[in-house]
Amino acid sequence: MTFNCFQSETVTIRNRLQGKIAEMESFAGHLEEIFLTVEENFGRQEQHLEQHYNDVLQTLSQRYDERAAGLEEEKKGKLEALYNQLLACGQAMDASKELIETAQEVYRSQDKRLFLKEIDLTLATCLEFNTPLADLSDVKTMMDSINVVPAPSAPVINPQMPNSATQTSLRVCWSLFSDDTVEYYELYYRPVLEDMPADSTFSTVKVKETHCTVTDLLPNAQYELWVTATNTTGISPASEKALYMTVPSPPVIKQRECTSCPEAALIRWESGNTNPVDSYTVELSEMGTDGTESSVTESIVAVPTCQCLIQLQTGRRYLISVRAVNIGGPSVRSEAITVSTTGTFFYLLEDSAHPCLSFSEDGFTIFYGDEELPISAMALGDNTFTRCVAVLGDLIPVRGRHYWEVEVDDGTEFRIGVAYEDTGRNSYLGANNTSWCMRHILTPSRHKYEFLHNGWSPDLRITVNPVRIGVALDYERGTLSFFNVDLEQHLHTFHCHFGNYVHPCFGMDNPGALTVHNGIEAPEYTFI
Amino acid sequence: MALTQVSSNKCAGGFQKVFEHESSELRCKMKFAVYLPPKADTAKCPVMYWLSGLTCTEQNFITKAGSQLPAAEHGIIIVAPDTSPRGCNIEGEDENWDFGTGAGFYVDSTEDPWKTNYRMYSYVTTELPKLINANFPTDPDRMSISGHSMGGHGALICALKNPGKYKAVSAFAPICNPMQCPWGQKAFSGYLGSDRSTWEAYDATVLAAAYSGPQLDILIDQGRDDQFLTASQLLPDNLIAVCSEKKIPVVFRLQPGYDHSYFFIYSFMHDHIKHHAKYLNA
Repeated sequence: MTFNCFQSETVTIRNRLQGKIAEMESFAGHLEEIFLTVEENFGRQEQHLEQHYNDVLQTLSQRYDERAAGLEEEKKGKLEALYNQLLACGQAMDASKELIETAQEVYRSQDKRLFLKEIDLTLATCLEFNTPLADLSDVKTMMDSINVVPAPSAPVINPQMPNSATQTSLRVCWSLFSDDTVEYYELYYRPVLEDMPADSTFSTVKVKETHCTVTDLLPNAQYELWVTATNTTGISPASEKALYMTVPSPPVIKQRECTSCPEAALIRWESGNTNPVDSYTVELSEMGTDGTESSVTESIVAVPTCQCLIQLQTGRRYLISVRAVNIGGPSVRSEAITVSTTGTFFYLLEDSAHPCLSFSEDGFTIFYGDEELPISAMALGDNTFTRCVAVLGDLIPVRGRHYWEVEVDDGTEFRIGVAYEDTGRNSYLGANNTSWCMRHILTPSRHKYEFLHNGWSPDLRITVNPVRIGVALDYERGTLSFFNVDLEQHLHTFHCHFGNYVHPCFGMDNPGALTVHNGIEAPEYTFI
Repeated sequence: MALTQVSSNKCAGGFQKVFEHESSELRCKMKFAVYLPPKADTAKCPVMYWLSGLTCTEQNFITKAGSQLPAAEHGIIIVAPDTSPRGCNIEGEDENWDFGTGAGFYVDSTEDPWKTNYRMYSYVTTELPKLINANFPTDPDRMSISGHSMGGHGALICALKNPGKYKAVSAFAPICNPMQCPWGQKAFSGYLGSDRSTWEAYDATVLAAAYSGPQLDILIDQGRDDQFLTASQLLPDNLIAVCSEKKIPVVFRLQPGYDHSYFFIYSFMHDHIKHHAKYLNA
């Protein structure tokens, strides 16, 4: 019983305590709320205070600035006025000082009226007349010369005669159409330059005859000439001015840019003159079998540019030279070049060569060295191959049959064939549709040969490795054939219509050397 | 020897003829085809011998190969014999398409019952040229040889065994190494017996390894899609390896898409005749 009482008392107390705890908890909660509200309110109040005082401070600052500016201006104005006044004072003082000095001077001098003397009282003009002496000397001369030989009349200078000029001299002729006595003639001449001043210097030559050869002149140049006649009495008036022209310097044939084939030759030359000439004349003569020049010559006149494609006979040798022509006549012959129409002959286009290629002196062997080139050496022109180590040949643009041979080592990985002139310089020979080539690849086990065009090759096996390869191009039949020259063995033929002219191409895929042999008559079996 | 003309047809400006004669080597009547180009009317011409393959007669080549136009162009007489003796009534000769009739393999057999009649090697290299030179306007010094499959094997061995006799040689899908393939083993054991050393005299790969004589220039065309190539009957790689080693000039062309048929032969006949003409007309 007591235990139950205890229990219920404990429970009651416990309940009461729990109630109290709950009350206290809620009270604590309220306190917290109030705390937060007070905090918020005070925060807002602080903000308002700060803002209000900031406004006040700003306004004050503004007022200060205004007043200070005002003061500054006033100060400036006052100072300026005072300065101007000072200046005026100074000037007045100076003027006064001057006046005093002048007065003192006048006072000091004897003649107090001296200052009045500054007025100029002399007459402007002289009272006497100025009579010049009459000059009758030319009347006297005329009177004297009534009985004397007259000075000659103007000579007539002839136009330039054909073939009378050389590179450095002109033969000038003139005549006198009267009975006048002449002691000597004087020929005046000067070069006609583009921007010539009106009174540029001239040279003279004194001659007794009515002709003269002027020397030491520039080639391919125009000269202005006139002549006077002189006797004891005097000099004639000058003749009309004539224009003469010296003959040009001879052209220079560019040996390494000349190419030929059994039917024709293409000759290229440098003008040899800085100024333009009118045209060129190409002269050729056939050489006999004993090496002597035949007397038969052929001339091709009025060639307008510095190159000429000439039709020739097969299997002969010719000597070809060029003259430059202007109004003055033809130049002397250039140095001659020998052209043989046995086989097709060409040099390599060195400016198309990949930078890793170097050339032998005769220009027919190319070397692909295995030294690393410095980046600076890789300076590339527009025309050079950049990836494929290759070079083009300068084949004559004639759509006939052409044959050449290429000598390689057993271990050289080469690409040889033909390509259009505009074949991509960034691509590999045979990998595009603008080039055709035979390719040799060395694998660890064997030699492999491909005949590439547009990246495709037939599947072939060749048992004896060619080291001298014959290449035969036939434009009309549209064929490009390859042969092992030592065995006279046909290797492969491409069949293709070549729309444009093609160039021989030579490339290497590993370091090595390759020699081009041309000017060879095509063996019979190459064009069956 | 008496020749009887069996047929004559004008073709490509010349004449395609077939003749029959009594063969002394083969001891039976044999037919052969001869093409006479226009040039043969007025001048002596060189001769190209064509050996056909298994199951063929003298007809297949002249009707399907397209040889007449290029032969006329280059002025070459083409002779095409049959591929085995006919009508000899030998037991078993008609049992197989790849042994016996139509499958002479261009050997001189040493075994019974074949050795009396099956002497195609001597027929092709001795009897036939003598007959042709006596009856047609030929230049006896200018001969060349070509063939297809078994005939390709025949052309190669004739050239290798007779240095200097043939001015040119070429082949279409030839059996290059008969000792190593089922066809050759079957034929050689039947015609030559079980002693393999006797087979070597008729195997182009073995003959090439031992060849010494004037330089050859062999042109071989092979269809890449040729079922017999895949079946290892032809084995060109063996011949190429030996020729590379011995420096015997060969140009071997693998032609994509082409099979073993006369359509393949027709496609490259022009190239082969041009190859022969280069040496025959030189």
